[in-house]
Amino acid sequence: MASTELSTKHVLGIKYLTVDDINLIFETAENFKEVINRPIKKVPSLRDVTVANLFFENSTRTKLSFELAEKRLSADVVNFSASSSSLKKGETLLDTVNNILSMKVDMVVIRHPAPGAPAYLAKHIDANIINAGDGTHEHPTQALLDAFSMREKLGDLKNKKIAIFGDILHSRVALSNIFCLQKLGAEVAVCGPPTLIPKHINKLGVKVMYDVRTALEWCDVANILRIQLERQEIKYFPSLREYSQYFGINKALLNSLDTKVVIMHPGPINRGVEITSDVADSDQSIILQQVENGVAIRMAILYLLAAKRDK
Amino acid sequence: MLLLKNVLIVCPSSKHHNKKRDVLIKNGLIEKIRTKIDAPKAKVVKIAGAVLSPGWLDVGAQIGDPGFEHREDIHSVAAAAAAGGFTGLAVYPNSNPVVQSKSEVLYLKNNTKEGIIDFYPIGAVSKNCEGTDITEMYDMHHTGAVAFSDGSHPVQSNGLMMRALDYAKGFEGLILNRPQDKSIAAKGQLHEGAVSTALGMRGIPSLAEEMMVQRDINLVEYTDSKLHLANISCAGAVGMIQKAKAKGLKVSASTAVMNLINTDEDVLGFDSNYKVLPPLREKSDQKELIKGLKNGSIDFINSNHTPLEGEKKNLEFPYADFGAIGLQTTFAILNTHLRKHFELEELINFLAIKPREVLHIPVPEIEEGKEANLTLFHPTEKWQLEEADILSKSKNSPYIGDTFTGKVLGIINKGKSNLY
Repeated sequence: MASTELSTKHVLGIKYLTVDDINLIFETAENFKEVINRPIKKVPSLRDVTVANLFFENSTRTKLSFELAEKRLSADVVNFSASSSSLKKGETLLDTVNNILSMKVDMVVIRHPAPGAPAYLAKHIDANIINAGDGTHEHPTQALLDAFSMREKLGDLKNKKIAIFGDILHSRVALSNIFCLQKLGAEVAVCGPPTLIPKHINKLGVKVMYDVRTALEWCDVANILRIQLERQEIKYFPSLREYSQYFGINKALLNSLDTKVVIMHPGPINRGVEITSDVADSDQSIILQQVENGVAIRMAILYLLAAKRDK
Repeated sequence: MLLLKNVLIVCPSSKHHNKKRDVLIKNGLIEKIRTKIDAPKAKVVKIAGAVLSPGWLDVGAQIGDPGFEHREDIHSVAAAAAAGGFTGLAVYPNSNPVVQSKSEVLYLKNNTKEGIIDFYPIGAVSKNCEGTDITEMYDMHHTGAVAFSDGSHPVQSNGLMMRALDYAKGFEGLILNRPQDKSIAAKGQLHEGAVSTALGMRGIPSLAEEMMVQRDINLVEYTDSKLHLANISCAGAVGMIQKAKAKGLKVSASTAVMNLINTDEDVLGFDSNYKVLPPLREKSDQKELIKGLKNGSIDFINSNHTPLEGEKKNLEFPYADFGAIGLQTTFAILNTHLRKHFELEELINFLAIKPREVLHIPVPEIEEGKEANLTLFHPTEKWQLEEADILSKSKNSPYIGDTFTGKVLGIINKGKSNLY
């Protein structure tokens, strides 16, 4: 029998979720996806639950997506972002969060530049914690919405082949995707310039490819990552021009393949760098479905953690 | 007068080695060693199962004094060392000011004269440990510095390392380096491998250590000087050192206790007390380190004692500083976890004898008429480490709450005793 409860009180990373947890989140998200397509999109599930969105790093879509999910579940929402924060005054993360918790907050959604920051908080405070991206570690809700979107398109992901393209070294999305897809039985490959692929990534059981055509011919789904120029303190490739020529994905390349590869991108897109506009906007792309599913997935996680809290 | 009743003596050079004896200590000297001694006026210590060995020496502790007294000072580090069974400490120069002239050496010597612990200053190789110009090593040598090292700052410049080795040769001085190439280690947070990849953190590849070990060995060969490679952590480096020794080069090496029992997998829970330098590596590295200790490639084991205040450790992992305290738990950890590889006699060799041989410090002997520089311990007593037991000012230990087998009962040195 499928479980009806998460095995954990936090969502800190895909690493820490069981396959049952993931399937439960998917089932719950399917219901919420139906809800948010109704004329009246709001349900009372999280009434009297206060959620703090703590963003110590810039975000537009993830923050908006969480906030929408919280509001559609009728939660009370407070927002905090680094630009307006006391961090610049030298306060530690723990102090900041404890101050906010003193105001009786039940759940914390946190994005932070330090890998492990949500896990560190979970050790020290009582609220349920959802990791909305911690440095180059994990971005579990993104991986869940990616896998959910792939499942909608392809059905069961067992033995499906998914290739992740681009800057794997600086990407929490890649790491969470790898863990999530492997748990669901899919095969994963990464493809990009060798300087952007972690040296030991093969130890996680993924294939490594340096040629975009080879990778596209191999895969059912191409998940194309943003080139994170802002997160590179060292130059890992010489120019965007050369990158887009050798690692960018364009329509001519896609059309020359025998199969119709599903195209995904976690956003925001650098049009003309890792992906051309005609690919992003093509009928092979499910980029906008990903965004829609993001709200349903986040509602599911909030709902399931709140249910756990009631017990 | 102190009378130790029926203690097992572990001291390979002594004729009483592996024998149970009564030992009478008077005026700082070992007065008598007999099967049975009666001394009505002496304070008697009689603990079943107690073992007596030459006093232990730790090489490379950070003592925080002067400049970082909120982390540790001369008195707190001496208390921690005594509780850990050490009678001597050869300490790194990374204080503020750096130990880089005879006045800083004298500060340490003069301020530690009265205590039970022997302090042996290690002078800096370069001014302010900045890795540019060499220090007044002759002067420091003549004032009491036992070796020269930039401590927690591995010497990056090849040229500086070459000149330092050459210069110290003039007085048969010893240079000590903790090898890590910073341009390769870059902003690494832990050992580079499957764990760093899964945690999404920048790794410190073994290569960063291996390249500097190879460089240092080449420089020793070129200068015909003497070098100690401290805190070796990876398999590749052990092999290089073994070859260098086989060639007859004057190279010695040590490893830190944590690197022998913990691996990068301990970092999976993001506990910053496991964030240390050199980083905790893999099981395969540990195997080679143990083999290296067995075959003599690695000479001894140190505590890598690095006290840090909570404000520097109780943080998100990437923001926490590197280091853990270790003096108080070094023996207990070795005795608990490594006795399947090493006899008690071998541990005493790593803790008391080899460190002194490398630093050219006389090894204490357990014979009548010799100075009493001794460690008394119980190899099978179990105890638990509580935070309140920690005598260091800093509490950055990953072992709080752990149970150990093997307890230090006390030390005797400089005419004083500190018995628990």
